[in-house]
Amino acid sequence: MTQGTPLDWPEAEDRLPPDSWGRGPARQSLLPWSFVGLIALLVAGRFLLAPHLTAPALQTWATIFVAVCVQALPFLVFGVALSAAITAFVPASFWTRALPRQTYAAVPVAGVAGAVLPGCECASVPVASGLMARGVAPAAALAFLLASPAINPVVLVATAVAFPGDPAMVVARFGASLAVAVLAGWIWARFGRTEWLPVPRRTTAPGPGKWGAFVDAMCHDLLHTGGFLVIGGLTAATLNVVVPRSWLTSVAGIPVVSVLVLALLAVLLSICSEADAFVAASLTAFSPTAKLAFLVVGPMVDLKLIALQAGTFGRPFTWRFVPLTLTLAIGVSFVTGWVLL
Amino acid sequence: MGAAVKRQTQSLMLLILGGALLNISAFSTTYVNYVKPGFRPLLVGAGVVLATLALVSLVRQWRGQADGHDHGHDHGPRVAWLLAVPVFAIVLIAPPALGSFAAGGEDDAPAPRPPAPAAFRELSDGAPRLALGEFIGRAYDPAGTSLAGRQVKLTGFVVPSKKKNLWYVTRMQMSCCAADALALKVAVRGVPAPRENSWVQVTGSWIPWKGKIPNGYVIPDMTATDVVKIDQPAEPYE
Repeated sequence: MTQGTPLDWPEAEDRLPPDSWGRGPARQSLLPWSFVGLIALLVAGRFLLAPHLTAPALQTWATIFVAVCVQALPFLVFGVALSAAITAFVPASFWTRALPRQTYAAVPVAGVAGAVLPGCECASVPVASGLMARGVAPAAALAFLLASPAINPVVLVATAVAFPGDPAMVVARFGASLAVAVLAGWIWARFGRTEWLPVPRRTTAPGPGKWGAFVDAMCHDLLHTGGFLVIGGLTAATLNVVVPRSWLTSVAGIPVVSVLVLALLAVLLSICSEADAFVAASLTAFSPTAKLAFLVVGPMVDLKLIALQAGTFGRPFTWRFVPLTLTLAIGVSFVTGWVLL
Repeated sequence: MGAAVKRQTQSLMLLILGGALLNISAFSTTYVNYVKPGFRPLLVGAGVVLATLALVSLVRQWRGQADGHDHGHDHGPRVAWLLAVPVFAIVLIAPPALGSFAAGGEDDAPAPRPPAPAAFRELSDGAPRLALGEFIGRAYDPAGTSLAGRQVKLTGFVVPSKKKNLWYVTRMQMSCCAADALALKVAVRGVPAPRENSWVQVTGSWIPWKGKIPNGYVIPDMTATDVVKIDQPAEPYE
């Protein structure tokens, strides 16, 4: 290396000499072995273990777990791609022009904007994170995060199909969900602290590096959120199999308790927001307000979503934001149900 | 392990996940055990995106273009190993469509989705095939009793009952994925129960309600004249 050439200096984080100093090849050959091992384990297990893994409870659990993951993956990939596109291609100046500068005014605008993202809750978490990385006020991004899975057209149409001849349910769902999203955004804008929600930092390479930044951001987000999706899927499948549905019918008649029970059920089952209306409609013994609470809580707070949020925004944020949203969702459902249903 | 090695592992993990997704959606029809048939294009798309992304990322690393650090998330890579869990579940357990275990025991089946009003056409002659949802919907149809005195054929799997001389022909109804599946059951009388979980086609006629249509949910009954064993339908859910 001659005098005057810029040094190929490593990133501060890994404090190792750069690959050009000759450490690269020796380490890299290590890796594929862990993968060869993984594949060998899969092939061996397929022939040795698979014939014995046939207990009905285990199979039911596995079916539900795989179903949750398989169903959520396309939406997660879509959301992550959109988020990566936002960080790599949309300049920060776009958002300052598109949204009102005042945070309190930006929150409802972002909430209504949630109506244009057709997808379920798995897509909205990475997108909200991408928005924050691009300078959108966290409170506004959070309003978007909460509103989008509940008030987009696909979900509203599904709700109308599941409750034929009952348009009030669609109106109530839209109104209550938007109200919860905006209220939560405003409360976060007023009381939220920056140290609870560190804004996701992104490297944005200028010019020709954009596609590279896109690929890197997508890989990183997929691995990260995907891992947390698996945690959510594991929990939801376990509770789905362990909690018997029969105890539900015994509480259906009690006024306030039935609403709380369905809200809790929505959290535990972690059903995709595009399908939850059909499940709600099948709970015929429950009051309309209880069904509304199921529809409002489900897309905003459920086990899968809690895991995704903890992974994306950190635990200090999640353990404050989840109780706030849950309380608001139940409260607003009571009021909306009393007025509209 | 150095950052470069970590990134390579991660790309391979995405490749395996994408491969597993394509394996159940593009190269076989296993996916119908987990999600609605309409999901196929989405699954194939997601699988292709995952695999392409992994390959592009691997090529970039091979050429030394990728930035070597991890955006400060030290726990990121460890969580990513969990993505192997669904792959293991798919390969090792090969989960089948939900069966009699998920359909539950006696009478705790939640009521089915309310059918669209006035959507029932005239039954065709002979013994027409009916979906279980339609059979139950017709039994609860306040407009009339289109089922009375008619022979119909129902397809489903066998769920045994603790009651005597009775079993359930059952089908799971799914709106999106298996996590939201509900059991549709019709109680069958008059023929002995086949083996649990086997798929059958039952020919028989509805036993009308005693008095008026019940308010809550009661599983409708049928008297069967014939039961034939069949293979699991290509679409296991209704």
